[in-house]
Amino acid sequence: MKPGNAQEGLRQAMSWLHTWTGLVLGWVLFAMFLTGTLAFFRPEITAWMQPEARPAMVEPARALDTAVDYLQRHGPDSPRWFVSLPGEREPAMRLAWQAARPQPGQRRFSIVYLDPASGREIAARETRGGDFLYRFHFELGIGYPWGRWLAGVAAMFMLVAIVSGVITHKKIFTDFFTFRPGKGQRSWLDGHNALSVLGLPFHFMITFSGLLLLMAMLLPAGILAAYDSERAFFDEAFPAFRMPEASGRSAPLAPLAPMLADARMHWQGGSVGRVTVSRPNDANALVSFTRDEGDRISYGRGSPVRVYDGATGRARSQSQDPGGATLVAGTVVGLHLGYFAHPLLRWLYFLVGLAGTAMVGSGLLLWVAKRRQKHAKAAQPPFSLRLVESLNVGSIAGLCVAVGAYFWANRLLPAGLAGRADWEVRAFFAAWALAFAHAGFAGRRGWGAQWAAAAVLLGGVPLLNAATSDRHLGHSLAQGDWVMAGFDLAALACGLLFAWLAVKALRARRQAAHAAQAAQAVQAAAQAARAARATQAGLPEGATEAGRP
Amino acid sequence: MTAAAFCLTYAALAALCLAMDRHHADVFGDDPPPRRRLALRVAGWALLGLSLWAAAAPRGWAYGSTQWTGMLALDGLLLIVLLPYAPRAAVGLGVLCLAAAPLLAAL
Repeated sequence: MKPGNAQEGLRQAMSWLHTWTGLVLGWVLFAMFLTGTLAFFRPEITAWMQPEARPAMVEPARALDTAVDYLQRHGPDSPRWFVSLPGEREPAMRLAWQAARPQPGQRRFSIVYLDPASGREIAARETRGGDFLYRFHFELGIGYPWGRWLAGVAAMFMLVAIVSGVITHKKIFTDFFTFRPGKGQRSWLDGHNALSVLGLPFHFMITFSGLLLLMAMLLPAGILAAYDSERAFFDEAFPAFRMPEASGRSAPLAPLAPMLADARMHWQGGSVGRVTVSRPNDANALVSFTRDEGDRISYGRGSPVRVYDGATGRARSQSQDPGGATLVAGTVVGLHLGYFAHPLLRWLYFLVGLAGTAMVGSGLLLWVAKRRQKHAKAAQPPFSLRLVESLNVGSIAGLCVAVGAYFWANRLLPAGLAGRADWEVRAFFAAWALAFAHAGFAGRRGWGAQWAAAAVLLGGVPLLNAATSDRHLGHSLAQGDWVMAGFDLAALACGLLFAWLAVKALRARRQAAHAAQAAQAVQAAAQAARAARATQAGLPEGATEAGRP
Repeated sequence: MTAAAFCLTYAALAALCLAMDRHHADVFGDDPPPRRRLALRVAGWALLGLSLWAAAAPRGWAYGSTQWTGMLALDGLLLIVLLPYAPRAAVGLGVLCLAAAPLLAAL
């Protein structure tokens, strides 16, 4: 075989691989990309979903005192307290404490959100906010561990799709800046290539690092070869979570503010994200300060920790600097999470994430477009094609409808409804299920209706916000309330994009209908002509005509 | 400085794009002469390097190179979308960006 043929063979094989890995998990990947992209704005989405909560920013030391006061009143005998100090993106303070002796059926952890200025619990509607989208991104709404396994497999397929895609579309570098709009399948392919190639560093990084985040679950052997258990590994890797034995002797907890100041001094003024108090009010109490994960790229998981003796306030011997491998892993994972990103970079993450979402979506559409051409002459496309088309409609446009429904449910459900947060999530899944049902029934004709529904839901978000809260665009833009304004405007932009897609889909349908009508007309005309000729043939003039040389 | 980096990245991509026969023909009607092609290519890569440096200036290399990758994607998509509809404007914007970059850097 000539080398040229071998290369062609490789490309063919990769093309096959790209087509089918892309199809099998494309729907899952689309959902992961979209919700993951939204999760870059997790706290901001939560803030929009609790418009009545407006905690004020205070100094970290004061906030920590407030937190300790609260915990001493509500969980003095708890084995462990967790305090997330207020930050710019999350001004509310999250407190969690473990129940000393949980009753059967009682949750192990109690969680409250405090206004750090007043020390009172934040009275806001119950919602999972951006956390739901964040969790869905890697758990897909399926219980532990199956959702994570599915996400892990999907990420693996994505990595395969990226590598095989680069080989398949070998002309991506000669066609680097090429986009030919208005040419049907050609345009989709150009678009798919452009979105893939320009975002390639991002797509590769986000996929690889996503796998790394699930590393301990997907490949536990590495840890189990060196440690007795995963627990032992995590205790060493994350010393803030190590639990001291209780001595049984009580000792008052030393003031935390000086320890906080000492930790910050060691980090050259870096901020503290989380404070963990283990065995509070015991002689063996430990207080650990975890540096804010946004301070550096590599802090996404496992930022530096300083540990203090709870009873005396003295610093304990500190863990050493991480080794090279830990630093590299931390950097890769940190890049995925993007906690370190300031607003501009966060928006770049968001936009390139949307480009990735569109890449997966356009790939799914291409699969159909290629096969539809092959079956263009058939009266009805085969079942497999119709099935994929329906699934495309439901998982692409349908998911956008579901996200819209989630936001609408957040504002329309009564604030005091029992299990309110769960109802919001049910609204999301109900809308999605409805979209799938509609897509199954309507097939490719479903695009227009579903994009239109998504356009109304997302485009209507600013109006919904104005009708259900006092932090509408008129107010938020005037006050420089960029979290609220940013959400409203981004939703509006998405709504306009969906409206454009709806118009395109409806127009394409009308054209297809016209074409079908025209084809029918041509057929009818041909039939009429044939019939006329047949009658003519029966007449004597016709016979003479036919007999003419 | 970040705005300057944005502009430099776009100018760099526009130069690299113009160094390709098809896109040069779209704008000027013919393939670029070899020397111009070389000049555009050198300028493009030099501007890319310069834009990376500008992106790294405010917050260091780790942060800067991450942000630069994002800028590259966004500027590239902008250029690709502009090209088929208004090739001359797309290239003109590159020139404008090149002129604006030093001003933005000085601000």
